[in-house]
Amino acid sequence: MIRLLKPHEIVAGCLLCLILTAVSLEAPAQENNGNQKHLAITQAVMCEEIKEYEPHNQAAVFSIAAGKVYCFTSFNPVPRDMFVYHSWYRRDRLITTRRLSLKTPEWSVFSTIQLRQADKGPWRVEVKDHNGGVIKIIKFSITD
Amino acid sequence: MSAIFTQLNSIGWRDIIDILVVSYILFRLYVLFRGTYVFRVIAGIGFLWVFQRLAAYLGLIVTSWAMQGIIAFAAIIIIIVFRNEIKNVLQAKDVGAIFWGVSHKAFLTPEEIITSSVYALARKKIGALMVLPAKDDFQEVIQGGIPWQGILSKEMILSVFWPDNPAHDGAAIISGKRIGEVGAILPLSRRSDLPSSYGTRHRAALGLSEKTDALVIIVSEETGRVMIAKHGEITEIRDNLALQKSLREHGGRTADDQGARREENLKLGFAAFILIICVTGIWFSFSRGLETLASLEVPIEYQNRDPGMELLGSSLNAVKVHLSGAGPLMRSITTDQVKVRISLGKAAVGLNTFTLTQDNISLPPGVTLKKVEPQVVDVTLDIPIKKELPVQIDWIGKLADHLILESATLEPDIVSVIGGSRVLEKINTIYTEKISLDSINKTGRLSVNLALNPASLKVVEASNGKVVIVFTVKKREAGDE
Repeated sequence: MIRLLKPHEIVAGCLLCLILTAVSLEAPAQENNGNQKHLAITQAVMCEEIKEYEPHNQAAVFSIAAGKVYCFTSFNPVPRDMFVYHSWYRRDRLITTRRLSLKTPEWSVFSTIQLRQADKGPWRVEVKDHNGGVIKIIKFSITD
Repeated sequence: MSAIFTQLNSIGWRDIIDILVVSYILFRLYVLFRGTYVFRVIAGIGFLWVFQRLAAYLGLIVTSWAMQGIIAFAAIIIIIVFRNEIKNVLQAKDVGAIFWGVSHKAFLTPEEIITSSVYALARKKIGALMVLPAKDDFQEVIQGGIPWQGILSKEMILSVFWPDNPAHDGAAIISGKRIGEVGAILPLSRRSDLPSSYGTRHRAALGLSEKTDALVIIVSEETGRVMIAKHGEITEIRDNLALQKSLREHGGRTADDQGARREENLKLGFAAFILIICVTGIWFSFSRGLETLASLEVPIEYQNRDPGMELLGSSLNAVKVHLSGAGPLMRSITTDQVKVRISLGKAAVGLNTFTLTQDNISLPPGVTLKKVEPQVVDVTLDIPIKKELPVQIDWIGKLADHLILESATLEPDIVSVIGGSRVLEKINTIYTEKISLDSINKTGRLSVNLALNPASLKVVEASNGKVVIVFTVKKREAGDE
């Protein structure tokens, strides 16, 4: 009943084993690389203040009377220690850019500006990675 | 004198056409209406007009005003009173005769009038005796003439020899274009060799022709035959052409001599010359009178633009044009008559600078350009492109203190916009019109317009450039206010 394998069947079987082994080893390697290379943003909001490391009174419109406005961003994962940028624009004109440090494995950062009468109008904050690539745009307005 | 030459040198081809056209119109009126009462009245109105202008120039306000009234009234009177005469002139002739051609029918030569009259008398067998003197004085040989001094015409001759006219038996003395005397008694010939058919008229004609060099025309009452007596000879005339020829020869003219016509043409030529002089004078008084300056704000017109390009803007929409010309012209000039045009045929994408010159400005005849302000115009041209742009809400006003506008989203939040490439490359966001927060107190939706700046931008999407804002409002927590 037992049949001896022919030499070419043995060679084919060995090749199949080699291919399967290579595939099974490659898949976890790719997963690991993804975890290390991609920074992901989990939250990006404008708020009136930061309380206990959390944004408080998130809004799309802020009164000058509030005095300040905050841009709060959270990242997870943070593959390595790096910088992100918060670029503040008023009517397409860059007003200021803040450089913020991120630590692994997850991190939250915020930037703020002091509000003046001349700041009224539509604003946006562009959240950029260390290469300057835009990760997120948050739009809001400053009014009376 | 030099001033006159300077003025003449400044006349352009338009001015010459202007003068010739008006002169020709007046000349045609003269040709059509000469000899009529209408012409006399028109001439009178022309005189009144000159008088009115003079009165206005001298500051005689009431006189000028009265003259104006009389002229206006006279113009109406002409049309009403002389309507039949005007109708005859305009209807009796073909259209061509109104605009060109000169009718000579009314201006027959004396020979033609006499010939026509003689044969009219002959047909009716009305006896007649007409004397056409030459060089010799014959006053001593004729008797009993009645001074007449009537202008020669067929009707006049027929009436002189009409049988019931007391003077019809005598001879009519015709000198040039006038009938000098009628009822004149001529000396009778004493010849005995005359045919028995000759009556007293024939003897009288022959008698005068024997004593003077005059030509005498006889129309026989019995036979209607026409004869002429000259140098003591009587000759029968068979037809009107022969009579005309004899009359011309007697007057020292050849058959081809068209003296009367030539005289008439000379008159017309003189009238045309006088009219041209008058119109030129009037033209000078109008267009080269006291120079008046005027300024107009004229919009700039752009032409010959490449259809693939878009006019994004210019540094000026209008320029101030300083003009000069005669007072009447300058007073009546309007912005519509002055054009400032810039050709964009050679313009390139981007900023183009044009300097305005005389070639860019078209003016009515008689008006000259003094200055253009400003002279330089910057025009920006661009190629239209399509670009997708994010939309952002432009909130204004103040939200109630106890409320927070937590979120606001747009539908759509990206729009396609068409506009100049140079404009769109600087635009990264399209904003909505200003939305007031003052009346917002709860979550809701709003349909709003987009604020397209510059206005040359166009939104591709439908819904007339409107977007919908969906917003969420919440109350502040106690203590936050």
